[in-house]
Amino acid sequence: MGAIRLQQDRLKWASQTAAAAWSAFDVQLVIYASLLAGMGLVMAYTNSYESGVSPLSAGSTFTRGLIWTALAMVVFLVAAAFDYRWLKTFAWPLYFVNIGLLVLSLAIGTGVGGTSRWVTILGMQFQFSELAKVLMAVVLANWLSSRESRMSGLLTIVGAGVLVAPPLVLVAMQPDLGTSLVFAAMVVGTLFVSGASLRWLVVLSAGAVASIPFVWTYLLRDYQKQRLISFLDPAADPQGSGYHVIQSMIAVGSGRVFGTGLTNGTQNSLNFLPVQSTDFVFAILAEELGFVGAIVVFLLFAALIWRVLLVAWHSDDVFGLAFAAAMASMLLFQVLVNVGMTIGIMPVTGIPLPFITHGGASLISIALGLGVLESINLRQVRPKW
Amino acid sequence: MSGLVDETPRNARLLPRFLLFGLAVLLVVGTLTARLFYLQVATGGYYQGQATANMTVLQPIPSARGLITDRAGRPLVLNVPSFSVKIRPADLPYSQRPTVVARLAQLLGISTTQINETIDGNPGSNFDLVRIASDVPENVARLISEEHLDLPGVQVVTEARRDYTYGPLLSQILGYTGPISADQLRQLQSQGYLPDDMIGQTGVEAQYEQQLRGTYGVQEVERDASGRQIQVLSTVTQPQAGDSLQLSIDVKTQEQAQTALQWGIQAAGIKKGVVIVMNPQTGEVLAMVSLPTYDDNLFARGISNADYQALVGNPNQPLLNHAIGEIYPPGSTWKLVTGSAVLADHKLGPDQTLQTYGHLVLDGQRFNDWNGVGFGPLTVAGAYAQSSDTFFYQAAALAGIDRLAWYAHQFGFGSPTGIDLPGEAAGIVPSNAWKMQTFGQPIYPGETYLAGIGQGYDAVTPIELLDAYCALANGGKLYQPQIVRQVLSPTGQVVQAFAPKLRAQVDVPSWVLAYIREAAREAVVIRHTGNVVDMPLYVAGKTGTAEYGTVKIGGNLPFDSWFVGFVSPSGDFAKTDSQLAILAFTYDTSNSIGNPSTEIVKYFLQMHYGIKQDYRNLFLIRPGAGN
Repeated sequence: MGAIRLQQDRLKWASQTAAAAWSAFDVQLVIYASLLAGMGLVMAYTNSYESGVSPLSAGSTFTRGLIWTALAMVVFLVAAAFDYRWLKTFAWPLYFVNIGLLVLSLAIGTGVGGTSRWVTILGMQFQFSELAKVLMAVVLANWLSSRESRMSGLLTIVGAGVLVAPPLVLVAMQPDLGTSLVFAAMVVGTLFVSGASLRWLVVLSAGAVASIPFVWTYLLRDYQKQRLISFLDPAADPQGSGYHVIQSMIAVGSGRVFGTGLTNGTQNSLNFLPVQSTDFVFAILAEELGFVGAIVVFLLFAALIWRVLLVAWHSDDVFGLAFAAAMASMLLFQVLVNVGMTIGIMPVTGIPLPFITHGGASLISIALGLGVLESINLRQVRPKW
Repeated sequence: MSGLVDETPRNARLLPRFLLFGLAVLLVVGTLTARLFYLQVATGGYYQGQATANMTVLQPIPSARGLITDRAGRPLVLNVPSFSVKIRPADLPYSQRPTVVARLAQLLGISTTQINETIDGNPGSNFDLVRIASDVPENVARLISEEHLDLPGVQVVTEARRDYTYGPLLSQILGYTGPISADQLRQLQSQGYLPDDMIGQTGVEAQYEQQLRGTYGVQEVERDASGRQIQVLSTVTQPQAGDSLQLSIDVKTQEQAQTALQWGIQAAGIKKGVVIVMNPQTGEVLAMVSLPTYDDNLFARGISNADYQALVGNPNQPLLNHAIGEIYPPGSTWKLVTGSAVLADHKLGPDQTLQTYGHLVLDGQRFNDWNGVGFGPLTVAGAYAQSSDTFFYQAAALAGIDRLAWYAHQFGFGSPTGIDLPGEAAGIVPSNAWKMQTFGQPIYPGETYLAGIGQGYDAVTPIELLDAYCALANGGKLYQPQIVRQVLSPTGQVVQAFAPKLRAQVDVPSWVLAYIREAAREAVVIRHTGNVVDMPLYVAGKTGTAEYGTVKIGGNLPFDSWFVGFVSPSGDFAKTDSQLAILAFTYDTSNSIGNPSTEIVKYFLQMHYGIKQDYRNLFLIRPGAGN
């Protein structure tokens, strides 16, 4: 497409002053993201403190969080500066890199209880399935932008499904049912916002729901079924997988309106919650910061998603629209499932809470996604801005 | 920002979808908020309570179990720290149980089946600790502690274990502590016993459980999800250490008795025997040995199944204290009763004689004298000293079975002595009433004959017999034998001082008792008991040999042997000042030469009184006797 050669309107934009560039930059998006990331660091601090580690010692959750946050900022700035339209050129190579990384995870990955989610690079564990979400958003956006004139056709939906199927299956094989569900949610959300045929979306979604018995019988592993069952009735097995949900609800509930205060969460410091620093971190947040703190986090997420949707709205091209819609779908779905899990309204899955769950892969991936969004935002025609 | 109408037509077309997506966001946030409101605000107090309950738990503080010393203050048992592995089933998720149990089995070297059975057999609730293993080696305990994150619900507990200083020497007396059984727990739970408690299972440990245990305290403890103690928040009540016991047993005397008995049964080629030494003036038991014995430390450390089966399967019953727990025919030692009966009932005067024979015939049945020819005319004293059976058949007939029984009861036969040890049996004293009750028949005259010489239905425990002879020695005071001399508080104050416990005054005139004492000395002097008379001691005593059980090959019944007697400090047996009475019993001495029990007593007296000369007959097995 000759991206290097600037178009007329681009020339016009390039002649703007630094102040004008600043005005095109979505500051609000960065502010909400930064506040959420800051909240994640606070939780990293309190978790380090309560696990008996000095938060400032090397290798503590908090110091690792600081390092990842710094890296994430760099990734964000680089991605924002990078012209997102290049991504269309790289979409297919990225797609195969993505599949390669997921195959690599399956081959050499390690994880808790026989799973293979983590790949260790330079001594740091990295979960490629997190990066896969953002890469998937790029591939999806590229596909939809190529379908711009035939958006409402059935092929739009089928093509998106075919594209997302290989990474989705690879992630499900790790097995990481949660992340594969995120992929599915991203596809549906993106297709919906981008203008795919509603009728076909409904028909195909109904078909997917109808296939659940088949999936249950032949594809789900026993522990995954167990988790889903215990979600439906956590008290049935208080020491089994339902135990975590009950302990999590106890943590959330004991936070009450204003919380027990940071580093004072008893459920956390006494190890009642499993994997506090990852999947159940919201329970600790709700225990220590209370209802008020949790509402602040919800509002920050809602505001962030609003800003992401605005990027989609303002985007001149379908690529920008679809990418932003994918990111918004991802954020919304992860918030719903992760928070829902900790308060007993969603099954226990390994889906991280963006920004808050400590994990370099998740943070870097989101920073990358937000960087691309900022890049999209910066490179639109905005006569009045 | 510009109005939406200024945007491209495409985006305008998508406006409803954007709005719907926004609605979804609001819906998600609204649902989560509503649920959060319910959990945190509407029912917040409930979950806070749950969190607190999660965190703190009331835990008992074990009290230090009382110590036990011998009469000279030598410690017989110590409390040594040891590691136990316990599981709180409520803290062990079902899904993780197989892995946890498998790992524990590997570390502890016991089977997964055994661990699972222990957890499932737990008599208490899911929140009670279940003992998986006791006295775990330190390195294993450390490994388990280090792996606590992978072993939820598993705790390594440091607790005191009983260490019995002398092991097998005193096992029959001290007994041991062991894990509380479901039945015991049901009875004792109201007294604060816990499902994983140790409790005295036999011997003094069981008899004095209440005194030794003390009182457990209670503390409030903060714990983590795996049940590990984080910190003690407060002590609700302090534990009170148990009282200590001072036994009347003297370890030196006990060792001498054991050495003598061990030598005796080995020399005689037999397996079972008893030696008891008492102070006739007080009823204190100075030594009590029952062989074969066992090591009570095996139980205190948590006995292995193989060791336990070996003990239980041993036909000679090492776990049984034969001194108190089993009854045997007393043989001629019983002539104390028959002699006292005819004299006290004036059936015979002290100098009156009866003719003795090689045998008597009653209803066509022969009743032999032991020497086969008789001893001519004998007084009661002479007949007692010679142990003439035909004399005492006639004496029994003169007294009558019911008077014999009455005098036997006077000497304490037929009922437990009340010694402060569990598992005491009671002997049998035949009478018409007893036989009617037991067999629905009266006593036949021939049975009265046998009842006169300690055969037939007569049966005693060794402690009953020695206690009767103590009463003889002290002039008729039937004391309750006592193993524990004093109970002392943890600070050493006397809680319960020693006092002799009189069971009864033997209702036999003192001249009769003096007469029998002289007769018992006469038995020694005329060498009925061999060379005991040559020892530089004034010993009076009676031997006994009694047939029992079923006929052996060759037509003879197996028999056992007794020696029971006492030492006079002055040699004046009219006095009642003996300080030491002794009984030796050897079981199944059919292939022995002489009376192994007498040899054992001689060996004991030599050691006890520091006599250099050896009076023993060292060869006690009949040549050519097969076992």
